Amino acid sequence: MLDEILKKFEEAACHPELLKERYLSEGKQIVLVAPVYTPEEIVHSMGLVPMGAWGGDLQLQESKRYFPAFICSIVQSIVELGMKGAYEGVSALIVPSLCDSLKVLGENWKYAVPSIPFIPMTYPQNRKPEYALDYTLHGYERVISDLQKATGKVFSEKLLRVSLQIYNEHNELMRETVKELAAHPEISAQKRSWIFKSATFLRKEEHSALLRQFLEELRKQEAGKRKLRIVTTGILADAPSLLKILDENGLQIVADDIAAESRQYKTDCEIGNDGLVSLAKKYAARDNCSVLYDPYKRRVEALVETAKAVEADGVLMVLTKFCDPEEFDYPLIRNACNAAGLPIVEVEVDRQMENYEQAATIIESFKEMMESK
Amino acid sequence: MSCYVMGIDIGSTTSKGVVLKDGSEIVSTYLIHAGTGTKGPATVKEELLKSSGLKEDDIAYTVVTGYGRKTYAEADAQLSELSCHAKGAHYLFPEARTVIDIGGQDAKVMKLDGEGRMTAFLMNDKCAAGTGRFLEVMAAILQLDVSQLEEEAAKAGEALKISSTCTVFAESEVISQLSNGADIPALVKGICKSVASRVGALAKRIGIEEKVCMSGGVANNGGVRDALAEELGKEIGYSPLAQLTGALGAAIYAYERATKERKDG
Repeated sequence: MLDEILKKFEEAACHPELLKERYLSEGKQIVLVAPVYTPEEIVHSMGLVPMGAWGGDLQLQESKRYFPAFICSIVQSIVELGMKGAYEGVSALIVPSLCDSLKVLGENWKYAVPSIPFIPMTYPQNRKPEYALDYTLHGYERVISDLQKATGKVFSEKLLRVSLQIYNEHNELMRETVKELAAHPEISAQKRSWIFKSATFLRKEEHSALLRQFLEELRKQEAGKRKLRIVTTGILADAPSLLKILDENGLQIVADDIAAESRQYKTDCEIGNDGLVSLAKKYAARDNCSVLYDPYKRRVEALVETAKAVEADGVLMVLTKFCDPEEFDYPLIRNACNAAGLPIVEVEVDRQMENYEQAATIIESFKEMMESK
Repeated sequence: MSCYVMGIDIGSTTSKGVVLKDGSEIVSTYLIHAGTGTKGPATVKEELLKSSGLKEDDIAYTVVTGYGRKTYAEADAQLSELSCHAKGAHYLFPEARTVIDIGGQDAKVMKLDGEGRMTAFLMNDKCAAGTGRFLEVMAAILQLDVSQLEEEAAKAGEALKISSTCTVFAESEVISQLSNGADIPALVKGICKSVASRVGALAKRIGIEEKVCMSGGVANNGGVRDALAEELGKEIGYSPLAQLTGALGAAIYAYERATKERKDG
């Protein structure tokens, strides 16, 4: 039974194109939501299907016309997929303005993929003060107006509050799943990744239903033999070759600070009378992420605390090549881990990476280093 | 009864081996300029057995390491080259806390604790700059053997500056210098400094703790060693066994595992 549920996660994670066709054949309209924090709840509340657009592992050819060589491969691969027709049939792409590469993505998308409207979501960098709330709300209003134009759907405050609740429930289930998975070393890093990746493509109510079944079955299963326990940190860690190396070396991800994984599900929405204001407050409440401005860099301390709490043997930094926000944080993370006596290692990844030999040597050495501790 | 073990390090350009007696006495060593994908590893084993007067059955345990470790099925265990270089370096230099290993196609920096355990490490980018390959390419342009670079660098006064980090661009730069009639020893000294600058930056990223030692084939090049010592402002420990450090570490691991297996029955 557990394998059957995992198979469903795998199908959604590995074949989003089939999912897209299914939704379209059901008469639904799809809106792509780019990293890192897009107000998916608005899209969902308007009866549209938000599908994650985090790019894919492929060779970049067409998109090179629009980007310099030294830029994040996630944004490049989103444009590459767009130019190659992978997103054909979707109604719009929403891109938040949370890093320089994402800003460039939106501008290039307009020219590279003119058939799919680009909708910007402009967030304030200083998100905590009262004035930032107004700024975020204006951003949402623009998104709603553009979505209405692109899809003909109408926004309703009442339906937004329903969607906020669905997203809160999904958040809680994802957090429970992470916790439960930490107690089950027999679930591989690859399988764990399918759960997260499928969450970006499936409608949240569908994913929540699968998570409930998964948790029920997993709790019945006897836990496997202890493995070396690691915490992963970074933007993205879904490359099958990387996950295979972790599994071959007997490393279990017991918690993560990955933008495409747990960072998405940490913050719930306190639902008040005004849904949009509640959603803006949710954005303001988000913390501990490289693309969210924090002069105190509390993310670093939070990561070390998480690693201690889950009794991790080490921390694996999965650094997306040319990701400035993560590169700025890495020395601080490394120093904090060193000070806490937590082994840490960095592996650089890229959406077009095919040769993982160096990553394999680094991870194998890291395993041996943790074993000798 | 004595315990003999073997460590084999299959690199990208060379294969090395060490036979160790009772975990501390080096009985035999062998190095051949034939790395992964060649008959080099098999030759190493044959030659080690021949020179030590041992038979295959006398070897209690074999650990293989290096770039080609996964292609060698005859070993009892395989370990990463970082762990083995750290172990071997600790044997050669018990005081070492930073090990700089420059091999045929990569460079690594390891930090060790007082017991020789690796506590942190860094590898170079996927690039030939700062590796043995860089030296080979430059030596070829100058029509020299890599082994002659040290001697040439020693003749130089001031080094000529090689400003390009990239091997391909540096190659063009050296050709351009040659066509302008550059002094060969000064150019070789500049090439050594270029490697030292690249690897020195890697070492500084991880933080240098004394004492520092070098391992790997490039450690045999006094020109690079001197340039690295100048770059880091530290004395660099060097052993003539530098190129065998990984194989030595593998052999020490082999001994530890063999004795553990004996104890465990």
